[in-house]
Amino acid sequence: MTKDFKKRFDAVAARALGELLPDERGAISYSAELSAFMRFNGGKVRQSGSVEQADLSIKLWKGAKTYSFMLALSGDEGEDDERVAEAVGRARALMPLLPDDPYQAAPEAAGSSDARYSGTLLPEAEIPARVLGPAAGLDFTGIYSQGLVCRGAANSAGARHWFQTETFLVDYSAWLPNGRAVKSSYAGLEWSDAEYAKRIAATKRSLENLGVEQIALEPGKYRAFITADALAEVVTFFSWNGFGERGLRQGESAYIALREGRESMSPRFGFSQDFSLGVEPAFNDDGELAPERLEIVSGGAIANTVVCSRTAKQYGVPANGAGEDESVRSISMDAGDLAEADALKAIGTGVYVSNFHYLNWSDVQAARVTGMTRFACLWVENGEIVGPIKDMRWDESLYNMLGAKLEAVTKERHLLVASETYERRQVGGSLLPGILVDGLSFTL
Amino acid sequence: MQNDIRRLLDAAASAAKEAAWVGLRRRRTSASYYMARDGAFDQAIGGLDDGVMVEVLYDGQFAYGATPDLSPEGVARAAASALVAAKAAAGKGVHRFDASVRPATRVSYRTPRARKAPIAPDGVFSFLIDVCDALKAGDEIIQTVSMVEIGRYDYEIVSTNGADVEQSLHYMGTSLQAVARRGDVVQLRTANGPRGLTRQGGWELFDAAGLMADARRVGAEAIELLGAETCPSDRRTLVLTPDQMMLQIHESVGHPLEIDRILGDERNYAGGSFVKLSDIGGFQYGSKLMNISYDPTVPGELASYGADEIGNLAEKRLLIENGTLVRALGSLESQARSGVPGVANQRASSWNRPPIDRMANLNLEPGETSLDSMIASIEKGVLMRTNRSWSIDDYRNKFQFGCEYGTLIEDGKLTRTVRDPNYRGVSSTFWRNLCAVGDASTFAAFGTPNCGKGEPNQVMFVGHASPVCAFADVEVFGGGK
Repeated sequence: MTKDFKKRFDAVAARALGELLPDERGAISYSAELSAFMRFNGGKVRQSGSVEQADLSIKLWKGAKTYSFMLALSGDEGEDDERVAEAVGRARALMPLLPDDPYQAAPEAAGSSDARYSGTLLPEAEIPARVLGPAAGLDFTGIYSQGLVCRGAANSAGARHWFQTETFLVDYSAWLPNGRAVKSSYAGLEWSDAEYAKRIAATKRSLENLGVEQIALEPGKYRAFITADALAEVVTFFSWNGFGERGLRQGESAYIALREGRESMSPRFGFSQDFSLGVEPAFNDDGELAPERLEIVSGGAIANTVVCSRTAKQYGVPANGAGEDESVRSISMDAGDLAEADALKAIGTGVYVSNFHYLNWSDVQAARVTGMTRFACLWVENGEIVGPIKDMRWDESLYNMLGAKLEAVTKERHLLVASETYERRQVGGSLLPGILVDGLSFTL
Repeated sequence: MQNDIRRLLDAAASAAKEAAWVGLRRRRTSASYYMARDGAFDQAIGGLDDGVMVEVLYDGQFAYGATPDLSPEGVARAAASALVAAKAAAGKGVHRFDASVRPATRVSYRTPRARKAPIAPDGVFSFLIDVCDALKAGDEIIQTVSMVEIGRYDYEIVSTNGADVEQSLHYMGTSLQAVARRGDVVQLRTANGPRGLTRQGGWELFDAAGLMADARRVGAEAIELLGAETCPSDRRTLVLTPDQMMLQIHESVGHPLEIDRILGDERNYAGGSFVKLSDIGGFQYGSKLMNISYDPTVPGELASYGADEIGNLAEKRLLIENGTLVRALGSLESQARSGVPGVANQRASSWNRPPIDRMANLNLEPGETSLDSMIASIEKGVLMRTNRSWSIDDYRNKFQFGCEYGTLIEDGKLTRTVRDPNYRGVSSTFWRNLCAVGDASTFAAFGTPNCGKGEPNQVMFVGHASPVCAFADVEVFGGGK
């Protein structure tokens, strides 16, 4: 498969949109990647290989009918040309059998963009030696991935958007025989053996805190410093059905009480959708651009919601370039004034939370969430680390955690890039501080 | 397709002549998805995916190259890439494998289907819109959603040592949902949870009369929940219906028994397991009433198949017998690494991901207690229906699960409806408190296409069947801030 996916995108876009008849409108979104993966366990290779893939999603509007279809592309120009044309033909035959779409929202945006980030990655034959070598002696587990990732969108109103980036990610944890571990990652565009070695050395130093006996906490309320890594789990979670206009209108959002003024969050808490982070494109699958920055929560209150064109049509509110799932992308959380170096002192006696795990709702309408502590969470007394805790379940309303119980937010923020690889390597990430919470409820 | 894939295998083998073994796994997926919301069209989506994973074995190390280019040249490039990866990893692997973990199985499997001819989209949508009307049981319903998804997975597996596997799995899923609001109280009710009603079969699963009855019940129960008190917070006997048992089995039995988790492969992502290899053969996982089977042979259950995706023939196996752990969920690769017995469960989400240990169908065998006698035996309890929330630690010990609908059990009788019912516990403690297992009349099978695991990540379809079960002395609680 070619590395010139832009050329492929242009060709299938021309075919798909060029096939449209005068009474038809369309939008396409395109995704492609050339990836190398190496999964490792115990410092040894578990599975490794390469994946090349490209697919196209086409949305058609004809009269009051709307239909979408996804199509895997082979990479062969002639074959893909035929596939796209046949798919458009099948869609035309099917669309008369669909009911009218009452909230049809064909895109009218006609902008264009082209962002490309090239990288310096490892030669594939050197991946095992250069990733596992520096970690020799560690019980080292995780995944290395690298390669080109592309996203494109175009529509019949004239929009043309392209985004490609060539990245690597070592997403790993290092384990002690007592079952405790440090989780970390090394990601970027330019691989550096020296920088990677520094990261591994820091991991080894962090492991030193975990060798002592684990402390079993009783259920109760504890002061807790939640690192940016741990907060990333919360942030990923709270945008599901959270700040989308449709979810708020139709009862699925956890933040209806916030919107209606029955609940509030701390004035210290705020976040934006901020594409200046540069980790994902601002265009959606229909070729519509979101504003570079959109405040979602400011001073503890909802400032804006994310709105796709379909919801905008249904409720008569302005759209702001959201995807159909109306999730918040590229989250940038407001910084505070606590220095990270003072985090232990600020805890006093409590828990330093390195990572959370497996969040879900206890009560959606109360924005009450449960989850686990994971990896290198530490018990702190009088500002000093005592040792690792046994993992604890917590259960807390976000109206508490990010509301009355939110005591401080750090000055420093960390850019955490998306590591998910369901179906394809994801793009995206969040810029997050750490937070200090007084009285996090541990339950089991 | 058979001739094509043989030709492609030849191309791959020629491009990776130094390999001791070469295999091809092709998967073609087609799916349609129709959804109505509030009695009107919401989405109609079709999809088609096709590609092949070439696997090579070199010096004891497997590696893969995956491509959607099904030309001999494309497959040859993928094979050459796989060989490069295998050579780079040779001598650095977790285990020195041989071709015995890629058996020369020859099997063909196709989902049994009573009705094969599809209903046209206008017929499907006409039904979905009627279902929304049925879900709207009153003015307090603020959202109705109905959805049908239909699809098929076609697999072909061939290898240089003679494997020849061909499978076509057909499935259909239906989802019904109503959201109700009264003042500040909002409640969501579904038919058997998010995509829980997904099963293998043909258009006979498009049971219009049954789904319409479900829709009327779901809408009425959403409104009923608005006036219900919140679930009490205390310890009591917990009775779970099969649409919650599905989740309970999945999270607290299935995942901890996956041998790749026990071996540590998942520690960086999904997590490890509280189960040790030495537990297999003697660990008391649950009470004597607990019998869990891996059974990919159940017609209609979502993860039925003839062979897994490394060509291991699928056969029913009892994993937990009278509460004792006797076997775990490990593929031929995991069995070779661990030395313990397993099953045929190395599966992949598609052609672009390597197969790993998975659950397939994992079922709790029926017992002998009728639902009436189970309820009558409970002085203080709560019956919970339909999963809505799930969270469990990375060793699969400390869990907290939530349901949509609860009913108090007082002095042997089902009494008042309660909302926002949750419960929490520790896996093996919970299963050792299994105090009653419903008879076959309470048994039902569900499935979900949503199980996430693996690095790179994979989402997988699994099936779970269970009777109604009762557990003693469980911490239950309700909602609120």
